[in-house]
Amino acid sequence: MTTPPSQTPEPSVHIDPYERGWIIAAIVMLVVFALAVAVASYSLGIQLPSPEARVDPNTISSTGPFANPGLRELAPGRYEAYILAIGQGWYFNPREITVPAGSEVTFYITSPDVQHGFKLEGTNVNMMIVPGQVSSLTRRFDEPGEYNWVCHEYCGTGHAAMYGTLIVTP
Amino acid sequence: MAVQAATSGRGTDRRFHWWWILLVIGVLLVAGVFAFAIFQPIKVLPRMRLAPGFTLVDQNGQRLTSEDMRGTVVLYNFLYTGCGDECDRMNATMQEVQQRLHDTDLGGLPVEFVTISFDPANDTPETLQRYAESLGADTNQWRFATGEEDRLKQLIGGGFEAYYTPDGAGGFQFDPTFVLVDGWGIIRGKYRYQVAVPDADRILRHIGVLAEEVQKATGPNKLIYEAAHLFLCYAP
Repeated sequence: MTTPPSQTPEPSVHIDPYERGWIIAAIVMLVVFALAVAVASYSLGIQLPSPEARVDPNTISSTGPFANPGLRELAPGRYEAYILAIGQGWYFNPREITVPAGSEVTFYITSPDVQHGFKLEGTNVNMMIVPGQVSSLTRRFDEPGEYNWVCHEYCGTGHAAMYGTLIVTP
Repeated sequence: MAVQAATSGRGTDRRFHWWWILLVIGVLLVAGVFAFAIFQPIKVLPRMRLAPGFTLVDQNGQRLTSEDMRGTVVLYNFLYTGCGDECDRMNATMQEVQQRLHDTDLGGLPVEFVTISFDPANDTPETLQRYAESLGADTNQWRFATGEEDRLKQLIGGGFEAYYTPDGAGGFQFDPTFVLVDGWGIIRGKYRYQVAVPDADRILRHIGVLAEEVQKATGPNKLIYEAAHLFLCYAP
C-alpha cells in the first residue's frame, strides 16, 4: 500500500472541459457587455430621463408652467419646452415648436391622464410619460430641419395619430 | 485502499465547504447591495449641477458674489418688488423657513437666504432696503440683490433656470422658484411645481438632509453616502 501523499483528489463535480469553457465565456461576455454599456453611457453623455418632479395630475393643467404649455426662452439660446401629452383626444399640446439652430432645449413633459411616450425622431430624446411625474431631458439642436416626435407607447385608439414637430430654423 | 478512500473523501469535503462559503459571501454581498438600493437606509439630495457664478449688488450697495456664499447653504428665490400675491406667498415661505430653522439643530451648518430681483430698473439697492424693512427681514441672513439686466437674464434664466419675462405692463410674468445650493456651489434642490407638501416643509426637510450629510459623511462613512448618491437614494 504505497499511496502517494501528494495525489490530488478527484473534483467532486465533473465538468466537461467544453462546458467549463462556455461557462467562462458566458461570464466574460456578461462582464464585457456591462462594461461596454457603462463606458458608452459615460463617454457619449447618455442621460437617463429622470423623474424631474412629482406633480398632481389632476391640477397639472391648471397650475404652474403646464397651465400654458409651450416653448419659453430662459436666456439667449437656452429654451425650455413644456409639453402635455393628452390622451383624451390623443394629441400633444403644443403640436409644434420652433427654435433657432444652436439652441439648447430642455423638455418637460407630463400627462394628465394615461401613460404616453415621447420619441424625437433622429435624436436620442426618448422618454416615457407617466401621469403624476414630469419627465425631463436636455438636448442641443445644431442641425436645421424638421424633427417629428411621436407617442411610442400605446395609449388608446388614437395613439397612431399622436405626434408633433420640432422645427429648427437656420 | 480504505485509507486512500478516506483521505480523498475528506479532501472533496473540504473543497465543497470552501465553495459554499464563497457562494454565501457573494450572495450576501449582492443581496446587501440590492437591499441598500431598494430600502434606501440613507437619503441624500441629488447633485443637480453647478450653480452659476455671479457678482451682484445687495440692499446696502455692497458687492455680493457667489464666492461669498462658499461654505454656506443658500436658499435663493427670484422676484421683483412690484409684484403682488405671488411674491407675498414666496416671502411667507421664506419667513417660515427662517423661523423654523431657529428651532432646528443643523450641527452648526450656516444657512443664508438670497432674494434676487430681476427688475433692476425699479429695484435699486434703496428700494430693496425698504422692501427688506417692510418684510421685517433679518438682513444678516436674508439678503436682497440685483444686477445688470442682461447678466440677470443669463444668471436667473440660464443659470438657475427660473423663467421670467416682462409682461408689457410694467410687471413680470414668472415661475415662483426656490433653488437650494450647498456650500460647494452645487444645486441640490429646486422648488417650483405645485405639489401636495408645502414648499416650506420640503425645503426644511431637505436642509436637514443636507446638514446630516455634511455632518456624517466623513471618513469611511463618506463611501456609504457616495453609494446613496450612486443608487439615487433621494429624499422625497
